[in-house]
Amino acid sequence: MSAAAMNYRVGIDIGGTFTDFALLKGGEVILHKNLSTPQDRSLGVMQGLATLAAKEGLELGSFLGSCEAIVHGTTVADNTLIEMNGALTGLITTEGFRDEVEYRRGFKEDIWDVRLEPPPQITPRRRRLTVPERVLADGSVHVALDEEAVRHACRQLKKQGIESLAVSFLFAFVNNAHERRVREIAREELPGVTISLSHEVLPRAPEYDRTSTTVANAYVAPRVIAYLDRLVSRLKDGGYRNQLMVMQASGGVMTVDYIDGSPIRVLASGPAGGVVGSAHVGKAKGCPNLLCVDMGGTSYDMSLVTGGSAPVEAGWNMHHRNLIGVPMVKVETLGAGGGSICHVNNGVLEVGPRSAGSEPGPITYGRGGTEPTVTDALVMLGILSTGEGFAGGSFRLQKAGVEEAFAKISAEMGNAASTAGAEAAAFDCWRVVNANMSQGVRRTTAGKGLDPKELVMLAYGGNGPAFAGVQAEDLGINRVLVPKASPTFSALGTLVANPAIDEERSYIARVDALDLGRLRKLWLELVSRAEKYFTDGAFAHDRVVAHYQINMRYPGQNFALTFDIAPNARLNDLSFIDDAIGERALALFNARHMAEYNHIREGELPEVTGVRLASHVVTPSPVVASGFTAKAGEAAPSGKRRANLGQGFAETPIYVGATLAPGHSIAGPAIIEESFTTIVVYPGWVARIDDAGDYELVKG
Amino acid sequence: MSFVLNRKLAERRAPLATAVNIDPVSASIIRGAFETACFEAATHLGRAASSPIINQSNERNASIIDAHGRLAMGAIGTPHLTFVNAMMVRWALMNMDNYDIGAGDVLLSNDPDHGGGHLPDYCVYSPVYSADGELIVFVALQAHQGDTGGKDAGGFTLEATDIFTEGLQFPCLKLVHRGELRRDVFDMVARNNRFATFAGDLAAMISGVQLAARLLGEVIGKWGADTIKAAINQSIEHSERRCREEFTRWPDGTYEGTVFIDHDTMGTKDIKVHVACTVAGDSLTVDLTGTDDRQELVGVWNTFANSRSYVMTQVGAMIDPTIVKNEGMFNAVEIVIPEGCIAQPPPNKPAALGSFHPACEITEAVCVALSAIAPERAQPQLYKIGMPNAVIGFDDNGMMWMDQGVDCRSMDTSAIQGIDGWGSCPSSLGNLLLSQAEDAECRFPILNISREMTIDGGGAGQWRGSPGSLNVKQVLKPTSAMAWMVSADHPLRGMGGGDDAIPYSNHFNVGTPEEYKVERTAQALLQPQAVIAYQHGGGAGFGPPLLRDAEQVKEDVLDEYVSLTAARAKYGVVLTGSLEDYTLAVDVEATATLRKDMGVGEFTLEAAE
Repeated sequence: MSAAAMNYRVGIDIGGTFTDFALLKGGEVILHKNLSTPQDRSLGVMQGLATLAAKEGLELGSFLGSCEAIVHGTTVADNTLIEMNGALTGLITTEGFRDEVEYRRGFKEDIWDVRLEPPPQITPRRRRLTVPERVLADGSVHVALDEEAVRHACRQLKKQGIESLAVSFLFAFVNNAHERRVREIAREELPGVTISLSHEVLPRAPEYDRTSTTVANAYVAPRVIAYLDRLVSRLKDGGYRNQLMVMQASGGVMTVDYIDGSPIRVLASGPAGGVVGSAHVGKAKGCPNLLCVDMGGTSYDMSLVTGGSAPVEAGWNMHHRNLIGVPMVKVETLGAGGGSICHVNNGVLEVGPRSAGSEPGPITYGRGGTEPTVTDALVMLGILSTGEGFAGGSFRLQKAGVEEAFAKISAEMGNAASTAGAEAAAFDCWRVVNANMSQGVRRTTAGKGLDPKELVMLAYGGNGPAFAGVQAEDLGINRVLVPKASPTFSALGTLVANPAIDEERSYIARVDALDLGRLRKLWLELVSRAEKYFTDGAFAHDRVVAHYQINMRYPGQNFALTFDIAPNARLNDLSFIDDAIGERALALFNARHMAEYNHIREGELPEVTGVRLASHVVTPSPVVASGFTAKAGEAAPSGKRRANLGQGFAETPIYVGATLAPGHSIAGPAIIEESFTTIVVYPGWVARIDDAGDYELVKG
Repeated sequence: MSFVLNRKLAERRAPLATAVNIDPVSASIIRGAFETACFEAATHLGRAASSPIINQSNERNASIIDAHGRLAMGAIGTPHLTFVNAMMVRWALMNMDNYDIGAGDVLLSNDPDHGGGHLPDYCVYSPVYSADGELIVFVALQAHQGDTGGKDAGGFTLEATDIFTEGLQFPCLKLVHRGELRRDVFDMVARNNRFATFAGDLAAMISGVQLAARLLGEVIGKWGADTIKAAINQSIEHSERRCREEFTRWPDGTYEGTVFIDHDTMGTKDIKVHVACTVAGDSLTVDLTGTDDRQELVGVWNTFANSRSYVMTQVGAMIDPTIVKNEGMFNAVEIVIPEGCIAQPPPNKPAALGSFHPACEITEAVCVALSAIAPERAQPQLYKIGMPNAVIGFDDNGMMWMDQGVDCRSMDTSAIQGIDGWGSCPSSLGNLLLSQAEDAECRFPILNISREMTIDGGGAGQWRGSPGSLNVKQVLKPTSAMAWMVSADHPLRGMGGGDDAIPYSNHFNVGTPEEYKVERTAQALLQPQAVIAYQHGGGAGFGPPLLRDAEQVKEDVLDEYVSLTAARAKYGVVLTGSLEDYTLAVDVEATATLRKDMGVGEFTLEAAE
């Protein structure tokens, strides 16, 4: 096969500093990184694609022409909410409910800090207008829509120059007629304004969740859509002939047309890509249940993979102080990264959440940082090298100033400001950040009915593999995977992710009184949306795998449990809806509730709260090798360094990742230096390299 | 069950005996592990319970109490519950042999006269032992139950003159013996509750406590009992030291606050709460002497443990929020509560409503007193709502339901120096997540008509209080409704020269010839389609309104927090242009003149001084 006939797939993930690329060529993956271009991020994407084309010996045009799929993860929505520079947004809502997004159901991020500032409002009160209308829980119209009031509200918002409009009416997820009518009127009154309707963005109760999500959607929509459109046209001009697929927070990818309908779905999609990549690698290595930890410069992200897939939750997801209720791969974040600052607060040694970021960064970067960070502690402890080759050789860490900073911490804690004191203080910082991370992981598994001991840890991100062994030990986990591709895991994740649509419809009814006609109608609605968008994406219907799901809870419970009522079904096969569906649902719910909470309620009947269709198409993804068949001789260390791996300073062997091969096995204590990360093999642990060249750390 | 017992329960407790001298880093790592165990237990309960007040409103708490009965950790959930747990556990500690308490037991307490708050606040707890059988800590989950088996559903009886009217009391009842559920006891407790969902809540509390006990057992096993005890001592001593450092920064002196409740549930007027806060060096004394002690009062009795808790809740909000909430706070603050006053009732007094008032007037009075020296944190942590409009009915299957009215709304969020009141409620007291119309209407025959903020509904001030909401509901079936109205004559107090919040008011049968205003209490049978409307007081203002930045007043008018009229009348701000067209502008000269006429000079002079 000639190169030009090759069916390439390219995964692209844009981060704050780097844009990562993963090129899938048959079963082989080629990785690439280049700097992001914040002014117009699509430029950085095109530069990277040109580099990949050159690597393949092709012109950009013929390379793009041979791409079967380009899959993209973007942080445009995240950045918009961080920088609060989205569209000027207005909200039209039901009369009497103007202030729900301001009340936030009473939620405050710190209950004890009376000086906590309010979050900046996307729609301040003057741009939250109400109109007479009311739909009831059963979908009946209690108050007809006052169309004149709608026109008046539109005109008031026009005077304020809004660029984007959110519409959220009570029970619009049961009867959406009023919201649809407002769209028609708004198109006349507010030409050119982007419109987000709550029943399309998040068709479920309750009103704060739905309204907040719709408002955030309206806020990010114009920027996300403009960015994706720009990228689509650049790719088209460059010679790409297929649909651009975009990563969603749910861990699936979908076409730009689909994303345009609800662009908030791309929020937090970067971390989701990492988890999806982890699930894929874990499955290949025979580890379906994973605890994934990603430690970068500013944060420590934790997530779970169970049964080979990343659980998706559509609940109380707070992002940048806004509730975003769309389905998301659950990722918990802790302010503990390489740049987290070590400091003494009233006699207590604390690490983070404040971070030195990448500018000025840790002291050891030598870019003007003066406050000691976790990375500095690692230098002090000898875990990181001040020799050549940090971050793929892009720069060198420096020792100057590091010891002084930790000596100061030692003094503040009432100890000696000597070299020994500085080393002890750095070690204490290492203990504190480790404890923070271990507690964070426990909180991630809390309420999930999971014992961390039964999980395998998968560590990635620049700093993850330096600490993984400690958390694993703390949590009783005795196996840690560190994939070779871990520094570009999110890009790999976009390649692994399948085109997927995961949507739900609200329907509240006792499980013994289900209206089968209603169930069929709601699921058909979801089926027809899936059919439309998969067709638009050129995916044949017979390739779609459908999981029909039900959300259920005991009356009064806030959280519903979701389970498959018809897994691995065909897209339009609704034959599972029969007279016995209620009984089957009850049995499945009881099993789930037992697994999650260790009890079921005798004498109480749960209720259905919604139906869901999670559908996807399986696309080719990288083949990850596993197993330990390769033989290799003794690995040779490149040297020794004085380092403290938790048991005091000792001369510790150092290995260079590039010199290691499948079959090698290294007993701790040892340090392995990879080009973008450092793997610490703690005492009592052994690192083995499998046939794929990935690391596995096992407690001996 | 006496003042003698109260004195014993409130006694200072010694540190745990240990030979280990722990370093502060290990101590804080252990504290983190404790916090996480609390988090896991509270999360488990929040997800598994079915009563809206637990799973939606989050009125639940997890805490750890050491073998001497000291609050070792209580970080998760509802603050005012946090500070009560230890008192109930102390009663159990006094009866370890009498009650044959041992590993694997799960106990239940709720008795106001044995260290409890009001009856609905069930405390479920379990002892945790070291491997060699030494009692190290108790772990407790506390949550507000929907009912307590008394005269009225929910446990709030307006005319109750004793605790027996309100329901069943448990000084200390064993639900699980050595790991085995006592089915007869469980069924008896569950039977004394009107709501079908209660048994599930109780089961969730038991399994949550068992989970936390197992996790703590692992933590103790890993570090060893002596190290754990040293860590608890260190954490408590550290909090005490940090509290004292805060008090040292406050000028010495005695600062007083007096706050009134409009009336008790029978109409006796002007119930007084008086607080004197004395700062002397590194010590703070909060003395409630002078608080009402008329024995004939009805409904306004706050339990002793609750009164101590509310004092601490407000003190906690007025010091550095990062200070760990544990026994160290009680060690640093001397709390004086006269025996027999409404903040330390004689035995058998009713307790349900007292948990609102005078409990909240205690926090308010402490805040008023300390506002003179800690204005930057002087936001009272309270609810001035007497009782929300609780509506109760029966479904088609004859099962009772109750909409407790913990609705999404704004009330009582006062300004502090530098920050306008914002959000829904003050958070250091209840930390509730408020319920939503779409959830309620799927469950109850209720129509929510409005819950918007009322323009000019907050106290004016240099920093203004958040406006209170007008909650309007319609009942669709025959429904009984209960309410207790206060804070109309004595609304939430402004601080530092700010205006008071607007008064609360409540109307039944709105828009009909039968419309009436609830002046004191209501216990009404509402007919289908009846509308009830509750105007919540907003937050109070801080600082003189005439000193508010005129541009900010303009923004408030544009956002319809403040009316054009009030902009002029309260803030002395003259605006030109049109609100309808969003073209308002401050007439700087006219504003200066008007403010001068209104006496702004007096305040600016004061500020200059």
